Amino acid sequence: MEHVVITDGDAGTAAIAAFERDRRALLRRGFTLGGAAIAASSIPLLWSIRNAFAGAGSDDPILASAINLERVAVIAYGVVIDSGLLSPALLRLARRLRAHEQAHADALTTALTDLGGSPPQAPKGVAAVDKVVKGLGDVRSQADVVNFAIELETAAVAAYYDAHAKLVEARLLQIGASIMASEGQHLVVLRKAARKDPVPNAFETGAS
Amino acid sequence: MDIDSFLRDPLSRRRFFHMSGVSVAGGSAVFLAACGSDDPTSRVPTGPDESDQADVEILNGALDLELMAVAAYKRAAALMTGDVLEIGKTFLAQEQEHADGLSAAIKDAGGMPNRAKSSYEFPELRSQTDALKFAVDLENTAIAAYIDALPKLSQGDLRATAAAIVTNEAEHAAVLLDALGRDPLPGAFVTGSAA
Repeated sequence: MEHVVITDGDAGTAAIAAFERDRRALLRRGFTLGGAAIAASSIPLLWSIRNAFAGAGSDDPILASAINLERVAVIAYGVVIDSGLLSPALLRLARRLRAHEQAHADALTTALTDLGGSPPQAPKGVAAVDKVVKGLGDVRSQADVVNFAIELETAAVAAYYDAHAKLVEARLLQIGASIMASEGQHLVVLRKAARKDPVPNAFETGAS
Repeated sequence: MDIDSFLRDPLSRRRFFHMSGVSVAGGSAVFLAACGSDDPTSRVPTGPDESDQADVEILNGALDLELMAVAAYKRAAALMTGDVLEIGKTFLAQEQEHADGLSAAIKDAGGMPNRAKSSYEFPELRSQTDALKFAVDLENTAIAAYIDALPKLSQGDLRATAAAIVTNEAEHAAVLLDALGRDPLPGAFVTGSAA
């Protein structure tokens, strides 16, 4: 699969078609990186970025989506921290995971602004979380919370996995991999809390 | 040399990993020989053959590492019992899956996969704790090597697969740290450590 590279001159229709194909593949899997950001406005974003940063590649919309995803995770962990459903140990864990997601969002935001891009609008509330993983409003027990968190982290791993096929900047690929690996470690701790196999697959692609 | 001295001594570690086909020099390019440039974004292969050849060299570097990890987990498993032994066996099988996947990718790119060395000189492991500590070091070295190599791969699907392997190695590290009674989540960014 070729990644989309927008260079000087007209964007190739083949590249746009490939991008659309990838996007549709994501949609088929029931998940889009950052939800509506890619789904609704991918092509216009690609065009505007081509015009603003000719030759800069297509990393900016991917970064913006990843930032949205991390911010959504921060919101989700905030909701479960305030839910009163968690034991002291899991409360401590949820706080640590939220801090990690915030650190990811901050690092990606710095990377995006370094590239000359602007951070996306901040997501708000459970509705924003629903666009990535549904069910946060339905959690009623600690077990529900842990299962929801596993879904959220799995979705994040899937998003970074897909992003690695498209990102072109070396530094972004490396930041992305170190974040994806962190989400994998979150999954280990959460799966253990749910008494599930902590490392079920040799290739952690976020396929569930 | 016992494991604690080995882990404290950068020169021994570097020599060991170098002899196993792995060299992570000061956090810079681990499989740099494949590229000829520190800046992967500036590397524009002139044709598919050239990029395939560069990919093959990078993938073979990763394969050397996985084959060494398979041998290491076999050695470590001899010191493990109970739940820890189950962990060791699972991770051994997963490292073998990585090696098989890399070998297939190398063949797809028209290359010849490297083979395992007939023997590896591991540091002296005397206990299950030694085995776990050594395994954590191996996983961290692998994580650093993959993160370093990842941007140099020319194909998107290879980069995605490398990221999936890094994430699995990070999961291994978390489980092993937990088994040692240490924090399984040492940081928000998992970068491993250079040998």
